[in-house]
Amino acid sequence: MSSHLTATLVDDAQLTLAELARACRAAESQVLVWVVEGVLQPSGESPAEWRFAGASVRRARLAVTLTRELEINPPGVALALDLMDEIEALKASLRRR
Amino acid sequence: MEFKDYYKTLGLARGASADDIKSAYRKLARKYHPDVSKEADAEARFKEIGEASEVLRDPEKRAAYDVAGAQWERQQAAGGGQRGGPQDFQPPPGWDAGFEFSGRGDAGDNDPFGGADHSDFFEALFGRARAGRGGSRGGGTSGNARRPDTPMRGQDHHAKVMIDLEDAFQGAQRSISLHMPALDEDGRGVMRERTLDVNIPKGIREGQQLRLAGQGGPGLGNGPAGDLFLEISFNSHKQFRVDGRDVYIDLPLAPWEAALGASVSAATPDGAVELTIPPNSVAGRKLRLKGRGIPGNPAGDLYVVLGVALPLAESAANKAAYEAFAASFEFNPRAPLKG
Repeated sequence: MSSHLTATLVDDAQLTLAELARACRAAESQVLVWVVEGVLQPSGESPAEWRFAGASVRRARLAVTLTRELEINPPGVALALDLMDEIEALKASLRRR
Repeated sequence: MEFKDYYKTLGLARGASADDIKSAYRKLARKYHPDVSKEADAEARFKEIGEASEVLRDPEKRAAYDVAGAQWERQQAAGGGQRGGPQDFQPPPGWDAGFEFSGRGDAGDNDPFGGADHSDFFEALFGRARAGRGGSRGGGTSGNARRPDTPMRGQDHHAKVMIDLEDAFQGAQRSISLHMPALDEDGRGVMRERTLDVNIPKGIREGQQLRLAGQGGPGLGNGPAGDLFLEISFNSHKQFRVDGRDVYIDLPLAPWEAALGASVSAATPDGAVELTIPPNSVAGRKLRLKGRGIPGNPAGDLYVVLGVALPLAESAANKAAYEAFAASFEFNPRAPLKG
């Protein structure tokens, strides 16, 4: 079965709160908590106006795994993701050499 | 089919308490989490651990598994001459009589592992769709947990797609094979392979997501299908390194090219370019080609990292050249180390 499909690039500021929650299989209330903790940084003022970048999907899914599998609480998830970001940044600076 | 010893997978004894299971699982999940682990087989191990814990943490499944395991052990012991290795496991008919599962078997919303990742062993024991549980094989596909008349949107699915950096420069069409769990006519779970032709837009960067609307899990009760998200990742490349929108390449120079300046040709993801090397360029110097990184708005930059390669002094003429070179300089590279 082969079909030709056109994919849409999920660029910056594209996903609504409901779309992101669905994509990472988390409750909207859970995503809300992560925004408050700074795990995810949408543009927009109120939750209804929030728009998330496509890259948030990966981050949110990681947050889901950390929460469910390792039973880490939201501040812990925020810390773990910050540390992972730092590792990524360090790896990137090694690549630039 | 191989009998899977879920207790062994988690490093536990048969009588392990619920807390032991939880704690063993957490430790192993941390060790083998594919986003964190450096182990080569992290992903496979993570799935095994997940499956073991899914069974042992659920009292119903654990009880059923223990019964199947005890029967299998008796078979092994009774088999005697028969060479019954662990790969010969078949669940005995009716082994699960008397167990009523509450319908969490089908990778529900709470199941981060998704249905696709279960082993054959797991599926032989617990099935996938849990349809018609309790004897009526091949019954309707209505799950026990959900009312079929409630429309429900299908789940979003995720997959990772590896592309070449060049694809991000030129755009590309890629055939992607995905293995998806599906239900056959009898409502039994099967793996289906499907191939999607997907346009990779020019300017895509690592970590970005492509969304294919309606290509995720099927909806229930006339609900719409979910979406399929594809996470983009670049194949590693011998020459090019990528950082966000920027691309880095190494360019080796002969000592005289670095010292006197030169015009040299360099391969970039977008084809060869002619570069002017300024005189007295040192190793490690970066030349920036603005806007020649990954295309976009704004486009990334291309950085050419200069290196200096030394030719070996092999012939008498080579040696003489190095000697003349040395004689014409007052140069001590270790001068900064002194004093």
